[in-house]
Amino acid sequence: MTPAPGPHLSPDDVELWLNGTLDAARTRHLDLCPECFDRAQAEREIVEQLASLPLMAPAPGFEDRVMTQVRVADPFALRSIRQRIFATRRSMAIAAGLALALVGSMAASVAWSLANQELLVSAGNWVLSQGSQAGWLALRGLASNFIEQPWYESARAFADHPGRLGAALGALALAYLSGMFALRRLLALPSQQVAHAA
Amino acid sequence: MAEGPEWVRLTDQEVVLLARGGREAAYRELVRRYERPVFALLYRMVRDRELAEDLAQETFVKALNAIDSYRPEFKFSSWIFKIANNAAIDHLRRRELDTLSLDGSPHAETPEAMQATALQIGARQESPLDAVEAKELGGAIEAAIGRLRPEYRSCILLRHVEGRAYEEIAEILDLPLGTVKTYIHRARNELRLALAHLRE
Repeated sequence: MTPAPGPHLSPDDVELWLNGTLDAARTRHLDLCPECFDRAQAEREIVEQLASLPLMAPAPGFEDRVMTQVRVADPFALRSIRQRIFATRRSMAIAAGLALALVGSMAASVAWSLANQELLVSAGNWVLSQGSQAGWLALRGLASNFIEQPWYESARAFADHPGRLGAALGALALAYLSGMFALRRLLALPSQQVAHAA
Repeated sequence: MAEGPEWVRLTDQEVVLLARGGREAAYRELVRRYERPVFALLYRMVRDRELAEDLAQETFVKALNAIDSYRPEFKFSSWIFKIANNAAIDHLRRRELDTLSLDGSPHAETPEAMQATALQIGARQESPLDAVEAKELGGAIEAAIGRLRPEYRSCILLRHVEGRAYEEIAEILDLPLGTVKTYIHRARNELRLALAHLRE
């Protein structure tokens, strides 16, 4: 009988053999050494038995039982945001970059404003004059539109008579107050128990 | 995003991100993905269905309530198995301490005092649940796994039942890679010896 070449298989060799990656020289030893072969074969049987063990499952409703005790994260909670910022180096770097960009742009804006005060004042004056001009034009347009309405003359004649104007304003105030009173009654909560709700 | 088959395409890390964004369905998906392997590991570690279920529940609640502290550069499976394994080991250690008191108080000076302080264990009637457990864990290999040291048991179950890589097992158990290899080799050796009579 040909003697098996080299020493007996080490645990690492057996592991390699189980994974199918044992080199040719050691495999030759295994083929020729009954002791190593028996041992490796027994280990293979153990591994196969372990791999075929059934996958057990918890009782039905396990997921719901777990979820009754879990607090679902609130992504807008301050603590959650803080934890996410400090979760990884990358997230910390992004947060730091954004903070730096924000502070930098604000500082640049302040510095530019201080260096160009005259320009800012003249630009402000120009915006103000353009704005007031546009406002005045809009007001004039609105007034002329109002005057051109067909009911304008009769409304003006009505307003020229103080008695009629007073009566109209009084009626308007009365209508407003009645409306407010009615609304309050409608929106008030019932003060008495409803019989069927008891 | 729609419920159901869409989840299958997402990695654990993506599901965790959705959970952090406040999606309850993402939490449920993580439970669905790992309830079986986590429960199976715990059941084979503690060999008691009800207790394994309690420990599995504790594991998920702990992990999901601390989802913000999970670091995505590690596998989610490693993280959840680590929490589960720690829960099992803690329980086994506590049980070991309790078992010591079965013989009575260590401060008892006479045999009578020892007997008086010892726990009384009556003949226990087998319940239907016990019968299920006996059937589930009744195989010779299951019994042999049950006799292994807890560290060996974790290693062998993670390697050959859950199919985890050595590196991941080292990460889960906080052990050097060499130690994990040694434990797995010794565990296989013990199982081989324990089951040798079946080969003959």
